Amino acid sequence: MRMIIHDLDEDFNERLKTKSEEVIWADGKYAPCQGCFNCWTKNPATCSLKDSLHEMCRVVGQADDVVIITENCYGEYSQAVKNILDRTIGVSTPMSTYRGGEMHHTLRYGKKGKLKVIVYGDVSDNEKATWKLMTERNRINHGYQLKELVFVDSIADLEVSKI
Amino acid sequence: MKTVFIDCSPKRKFSASGFIAVMTSLFVFGSKKKMKLRTKSDHEGILKELEDADAVVFSMPLYVDGVPSHVLPFLKEMGGWCRNNNSHIRVYVIANNGFIEGRQNEPLMQVIENFCLRSGIEWCGGLGIGGGVMMNVMRIVIVVQLILTLISLIFTGISTGNFFDGQILLGFLKSLAEVLFFGCSIIMFDIWLATCINGKKEYGKHYTRIMVPSFLFIIFADIFFTIISIVKGGIFRGWFSKKRPASYKDF
Repeated sequence: MRMIIHDLDEDFNERLKTKSEEVIWADGKYAPCQGCFNCWTKNPATCSLKDSLHEMCRVVGQADDVVIITENCYGEYSQAVKNILDRTIGVSTPMSTYRGGEMHHTLRYGKKGKLKVIVYGDVSDNEKATWKLMTERNRINHGYQLKELVFVDSIADLEVSKI
Repeated sequence: MKTVFIDCSPKRKFSASGFIAVMTSLFVFGSKKKMKLRTKSDHEGILKELEDADAVVFSMPLYVDGVPSHVLPFLKEMGGWCRNNNSHIRVYVIANNGFIEGRQNEPLMQVIENFCLRSGIEWCGGLGIGGGVMMNVMRIVIVVQLILTLISLIFTGISTGNFFDGQILLGFLKSLAEVLFFGCSIIMFDIWLATCINGKKEYGKHYTRIMVPSFLFIIFADIFFTIISIVKGGIFRGWFSKKRPASYKDF
């Protein structure tokens, strides 16, 4: 299953629904991660906060390929998207192992297919370098086999048919 | 000279970021102010403290390879504030993560560097710490041990008349020495960072870790999470199971 996570507007949300089986709209109407680790240690794969992201890690866990569309924020995901990523660490387990010669958490839902990240907005060369590193780290951490990083200057340049 | 330390952990208390910020502040001279950044309501108070500050030290945990989401809107607000006020504040960062490799904090460091470049303020570098959580656990354990040692000394003193039992004191000092050994690299890099803050110098980017072999650290971390999961009950609620969403459409 292919999933799209985006921080665009409602109109884009409707259009993206024609392109993917599951579209997660990062509308920002949820709380940030509280760092309690209860999604690992108390109620696995369930966030303690009972808002729209309560079981989001289970939803993201079902996806084979994930496309993330985000505004650039200093070489980092937008707050709305990052919030979803922070609240879905339950896709992994609290147990650790070596992956790529480094310590990482083991994967609750196993290895994934492809992570595609589309960054829009004004992105400096330094921020592009950060994005390359950031998405590679995300790929390793979440167990994706492949990664693609795309930059577009504005939302107007986003062609839904090519996502 | 005034330095503002911002503890960016979302945890209310006992956060590793807060502890490391306090530890660093011990070696920084001049006026010091520790602030907590958890919600938007904290922004105004922090910006007010930055008005007459020379340096700011962000202490934060690594979340999904980057900056925790609740910190991002503050960076945007602070960036605008710095440009409007023509601020030249010096920015340092201390990043800590639950993995053993301090270098895993590199993307977070770059994000803060990019933030400084966009905001016209001075990026002075940062320290990336691996295994910061273990340091935090050890400091809690050592405080508990200190309390138990004092209680033990009092009871021994009452029953024997000797309030300074060498064996009991030696046991505590041994534990303290172990903690200092495991954390020696972090403490040294921390003092170096504080020296740069005091001297208004650039620190550069440095990475360190708790002094434990990585394979042992992984075993410690797995044991730690197993114990916590037994206590909280998660181990009996499908600890590793591939749970499907209940409140969303069926996949």
